[in-house]
Amino acid sequence: MSNLLPISKREITRLRGRFTGRSRLFVIGIFAVAVILSTVIYHQDPVISKSIYNIGVFPNGPHIADERFNVIPLDSLPDAERKLEQKEIGLYIIGDRVRDRPDDRSQYTVGALSQYLERQELLRISDQYDVDQAFPLRIEIHHMAKDSEVEHFDVYSQPSLSDILQEDTESLPSLELDPPALPEPSAPDPESIYTQTEPSIPMDPAPIPGPSQGAPSADPIERASDSAVKEQLKDFINDNGMPEFKAEFASDEEIIIPSLLKPPIPVSQVLIAFFYVVPIFFVSIFFTSSFMEEKTNRKLIILMSAPITPFQIIMGKMLPYIGYSFLAIIAITLALGGNVLLALAIFIPIMLFIFSIYLMVALLYRTFKDQTFFSMMAVWIVTAYLVAPAMFTGVNELSYISPLTLAVLMYRGESFGLSEYLLSTIPMFLVFFVTMLAAVRIFNEEYLMGYRPLYRKLSEAIYLIINKSHLNISMVYMSLLLIPVVFMVQLASIVIVFKLSLGIALGIMFAISIVTEEIVKSAGFIVLLQNRMITSLKSVVVLSFMAALGFWIGEKLLLFLTLRVMSESLFIEALFSSGVFLIFPLVMHFITTCTVCLLTKRWGIKFYPVAIIAGALIHAAYNLFIIRGAL
Amino acid sequence: MNSFLVLIRRELRSIRKEKTIIFAMLIQFFIAMFSSIMLMGMMSFYDPTTIGENSPVSLKVGVVGHTASPITYFLDQKKNIQVERYDILDDAEQAFKSEKIDAIMSIPSSEGGIVDMDLFLPESDTESTIILMALNDPLKNAEEYLREQNGINMNFTDIEGKSHTSYEFLYAIIIPLLMFFPALIAGSIVIDTVSEELEHKTLDTLWAAPVSLNNIFSSKIFAAIATALIQCVLWIILLRLNTFDVENFGNVLCLSIIIAAIISFGAAIIGLYYKDRERAQFVYSISLLLATGLSYLLDPSPFNLITRLATGSQYVGFSEVAFYLIPLTAISIIFFFTSKRLAAAKA
Repeated sequence: MSNLLPISKREITRLRGRFTGRSRLFVIGIFAVAVILSTVIYHQDPVISKSIYNIGVFPNGPHIADERFNVIPLDSLPDAERKLEQKEIGLYIIGDRVRDRPDDRSQYTVGALSQYLERQELLRISDQYDVDQAFPLRIEIHHMAKDSEVEHFDVYSQPSLSDILQEDTESLPSLELDPPALPEPSAPDPESIYTQTEPSIPMDPAPIPGPSQGAPSADPIERASDSAVKEQLKDFINDNGMPEFKAEFASDEEIIIPSLLKPPIPVSQVLIAFFYVVPIFFVSIFFTSSFMEEKTNRKLIILMSAPITPFQIIMGKMLPYIGYSFLAIIAITLALGGNVLLALAIFIPIMLFIFSIYLMVALLYRTFKDQTFFSMMAVWIVTAYLVAPAMFTGVNELSYISPLTLAVLMYRGESFGLSEYLLSTIPMFLVFFVTMLAAVRIFNEEYLMGYRPLYRKLSEAIYLIINKSHLNISMVYMSLLLIPVVFMVQLASIVIVFKLSLGIALGIMFAISIVTEEIVKSAGFIVLLQNRMITSLKSVVVLSFMAALGFWIGEKLLLFLTLRVMSESLFIEALFSSGVFLIFPLVMHFITTCTVCLLTKRWGIKFYPVAIIAGALIHAAYNLFIIRGAL
Repeated sequence: MNSFLVLIRRELRSIRKEKTIIFAMLIQFFIAMFSSIMLMGMMSFYDPTTIGENSPVSLKVGVVGHTASPITYFLDQKKNIQVERYDILDDAEQAFKSEKIDAIMSIPSSEGGIVDMDLFLPESDTESTIILMALNDPLKNAEEYLREQNGINMNFTDIEGKSHTSYEFLYAIIIPLLMFFPALIAGSIVIDTVSEELEHKTLDTLWAAPVSLNNIFSSKIFAAIATALIQCVLWIILLRLNTFDVENFGNVLCLSIIIAAIISFGAAIIGLYYKDRERAQFVYSISLLLATGLSYLLDPSPFNLITRLATGSQYVGFSEVAFYLIPLTAISIIFFFTSKRLAAAKA
């Protein structure tokens, strides 16, 4: 610690010295203007697809006040037809009729217009009629556990549906109603449905909707659900198009109105969760740049010659930036009124994950341009990994891949379990741990200063990580430690292929995951082979077994955790449930790794890709056999 | 001119050698991939049928009470919804708990044209959200019917069209991102090459050659713009191969290159002033954020203009694109007149 703190202090001084005088003023000025501008734009209700649709409107048509539509006033029908024919406009409105073309562009315009006009019409009827007439269908939501979801001791404490509805009915004001407007077939008395034991008389289907009947009846009685309608209508009128902050799509005992129900897109929560990631990215860029500068100036070499360990140098340089990120997390949470401890628990693994990616950028890059592009790649990969799954919060349990999902839940006021937390964060902690381990091992002058192709740098890194006096143990921990990388690649592949049909999706996903697994298991061996450290056939077999064993241990540990959270996902089951008996997967891993290693030893490194394909084919055959057996 | 071309070739060779362009393409491929996942997430909320494309959403809904109501009728109309009628609520509850049905609707008779019904959903947020999204369409139809029974008619209910979410997302977000991201990369390349020359002191060697300072730096800018041009052309070809039409090809490309040039000249000014990569890249990043915000105040903004051009709008054309030649001219004049002083100034 006494060695670590001076390095951190030096790093803070260095960073402070970067922006002084005019530079600091300039940066602060740009920031201030950017913040003011963003606020102004946000309050102007920004429309990104301004004038994307061109539509013609006759004087007797509706008033269109949506910036997405570029409204062309029309007054002659031949002119309107010509414009529509020549694709100058996507459609035109004459009175209450819309004329369009059958092509996609016109139909998208119709879709957008239909959504806009539906909203306008709802606003109109809410203005012209009483809410009970304008919004006649109100649905009270109740959540109820299925037998499989109820803990044994809970069964007797669950109220029955009859009780729930009885309570609701009792709470309703007694109504003296006019005869219903809809000619009803003989319906059972609502009260009787709770007690009836005899089957009710079968009903005829309801009449097919036809032209409107009846007239608006002024019902002076205030219903219990009217206040809910008014509340939702108020939100609907004030809706500025931005996604709203809502705890659940429909919470218990909430009354929903189908036409006023908004889709539960978690965009706002995802954006808020992403606010945390942006400052961490900026801070990480400074961390990488610091490494770059010290490398260029060869100051790092001087530091390495001092009696300090590589770990102390790396942590010493990283610590101030971790501190800044820590402060940013606390500040954002306080500003947004979140739970600081929970936010720290969620964002610390994300922060460590981002730092580990940027640490690898710092260690692997060779030129300025390399650094820029590695950093950009890192930003996009991390963003995709964190943001994309979180977009499915509440719709798919795969969203728990990303810790941002936990942040979304936090800001929705929902809870999550320890299993979900561990599934999201353990890979991040492990990646940080593996990266630190690798960084410490490769932290030497020759490696850091050398300019070699990227694959050579990676293989050198693996070689430096392996403990040459304990090859067998090294093989076990190499495979074990690379499990988080495989896990992330596999889960990312699920997200990528999710849109495809099940058969194609499973095929691509298997191909990606099998090839990744075979590369990870054999990587250590190939590097040893490259460095002429494998001589006998016996060592090939033993090292293959050790690599397979390490991978198998890690895989089963992850399987346990994953199935606790995503037991219903076919993808996950297919990926990880690769054998009824635990021993089968171990044998399979051994055979495939041994195949890859033996073929590469025999044919040479150049044929490593071919050996991977051979190992992957055996792996695929095994998986197909298991799946067919399971089906 | 000859020496200028030689310098451009030298820069392009360096970019090719370092595989910079491959990284750039990889990043953009990632953006496209990431965007499609984002779109899928949004679509699944707006349009429940998109969820069904991957794992078919077929529901069994238990109905109790007024089983012949219009609500039941509209549920029956949906192919993916199977309605099970129950006489009493207890039977429906048993069926729900033993997972024979996914949800229960308790529908009373209409009272004064109003139906106050109850919907029982599973406790799981994921399941209940999907069920509710799938039920919302028939429920909206039923609401519309009840409204008509009350004598209230909504206009324009017969028009439908196609779901426009993917269309707007593609043209208003993806295409501008893909067309302007090469510009952002071009700016980064300029900062890197400028600060590399200044930090490694290789500029002194180049100065010894019979070329002006402006020639040296503008060759770097032109090389970066050339990489942006290549990427934009490749993206348009790729989008067309994927059946996504990008109309007004020439104008779209022209605007992308003008924006790339504006950003590259701006980046060169920042790089020359700060001289070290760390500060220059940071200031460049936040200046880009500011410039993006400021551009929104223009009508049409570059983002909006490229969207409208790509959709084939006949209400925008070369005159709108040519407007951006004004800031380009201004920034290039600033660069050519100040480059020497900036290189000599102490940041």
